[in-house]
Amino acid sequence: MERKHFLKSLFAGAITAPALLTACGKDDVTPSSTTTTTTTGGTTTTSSGSCTVIPTETEGPYPTHTPSSYVRSDIREDRTGYALTIKINVTNTAANCAALSGALVDIWHCDKDGNYSEYASGLTNVHFLRGRQTTDTNGQVTFTSIFPGWYQGRATHIHVHIFTSSGTSLKIAQIAFPEGTGSAVLAVNGYSKGLTGYTYYTKDNIFNDDSTGSEIATVTGTTTDGFVLTITLPVAA
Amino acid sequence: MQPRRIILCYRKLLDAQAVHPWDKLVVSDSYRELRLQAQYFNPQNQYRTFGELLYHVPAAERLHGLVGGAVVGYLRQLNGLVPDVADNLGRRFLKFENFRFELINSDLHDPSQHRVAINFFTEPLFWHESIPPFLLVSTTEPEATSGEQLTHLLQLQPFLSIHALLPSAP
Repeated sequence: MERKHFLKSLFAGAITAPALLTACGKDDVTPSSTTTTTTTGGTTTTSSGSCTVIPTETEGPYPTHTPSSYVRSDIREDRTGYALTIKINVTNTAANCAALSGALVDIWHCDKDGNYSEYASGLTNVHFLRGRQTTDTNGQVTFTSIFPGWYQGRATHIHVHIFTSSGTSLKIAQIAFPEGTGSAVLAVNGYSKGLTGYTYYTKDNIFNDDSTGSEIATVTGTTTDGFVLTITLPVAA
Repeated sequence: MQPRRIILCYRKLLDAQAVHPWDKLVVSDSYRELRLQAQYFNPQNQYRTFGELLYHVPAAERLHGLVGGAVVGYLRQLNGLVPDVADNLGRRFLKFENFRFELINSDLHDPSQHRVAINFFTEPLFWHESIPPFLLVSTTEPEATSGEQLTHLLQLQPFLSIHALLPSAP
């Protein structure tokens, strides 16, 4: 090879080498505060550094569409208490009170100690005592749960929120329990809490304006065999 | 000296620009759930953005937890492995049990504005030392007979932080 060609090739090498050496220098990989978040899942990391290793492994997961974790009939999770089957019938006042099928019904209530589930923080807990079902052709949904406890200031109740099949809210309501002699509320007796300090239906500030008692469900059963609650909720759909 | 034990947090941001199938499902399902749940706090449909709703209805703070509960099914599909974050060999290795879902912002009439985050909290790791920009960590104890302890080099990167220190073993 001619000497000048040889020298040229040397220079070429000399110029490019230092650039390579600094590419992965310490300074380049300091996390910056102005980061664009490239949230493209399993094969990239959110990084501004030029040298962050990206995951190189079998791509995944390949998820299938999963219904909301709330769509379930058995809402007990780890909560214990007297068995309660909840049957709700939804009717449509705009259609002569015919059964309303395809409606979403969300219910939630407190556990035997009067506590509601709050945040989903672990993979095994979703929200105890909270669930969603769609009404069948008879306008009915059924849930398997436990008899609610009670908390300061409120009578025993179950929250309910009814939506159309496309998710428009139709009704936000609360279901009350009978409290007379021989009633389930008295039989359950607030579990270990008893009923001292309990707010009865007539004193409850949510229910006490309902003179027709339309919010009161029918509750049958015993502590040994479990209870069944039934109620019809009319909505204007 | 005993290595410190730490818990890391990786905060994964997801929005309408997501490309990966898992990300897209979490975004769309959480948006659908938000639209359902927000009606409880917004019965007159007065408020449109999540920010507005939170400002006027402080109780709407519960929506983070309520909406997060709906996407737990997708989180289970990760099989307990934190997504995106790899060691210096390109392998994901951080395990999680706990997470916290956040609604960053959203618009009840415009899905393109929906933005959420999932905070993944790792299982406790042994933190041996830092070799900038890496942390030298282990997920397991030293092997009983040989004393050898397997390690990972984990690069510090945006959205990855040390969430907590655990007291050293006595």
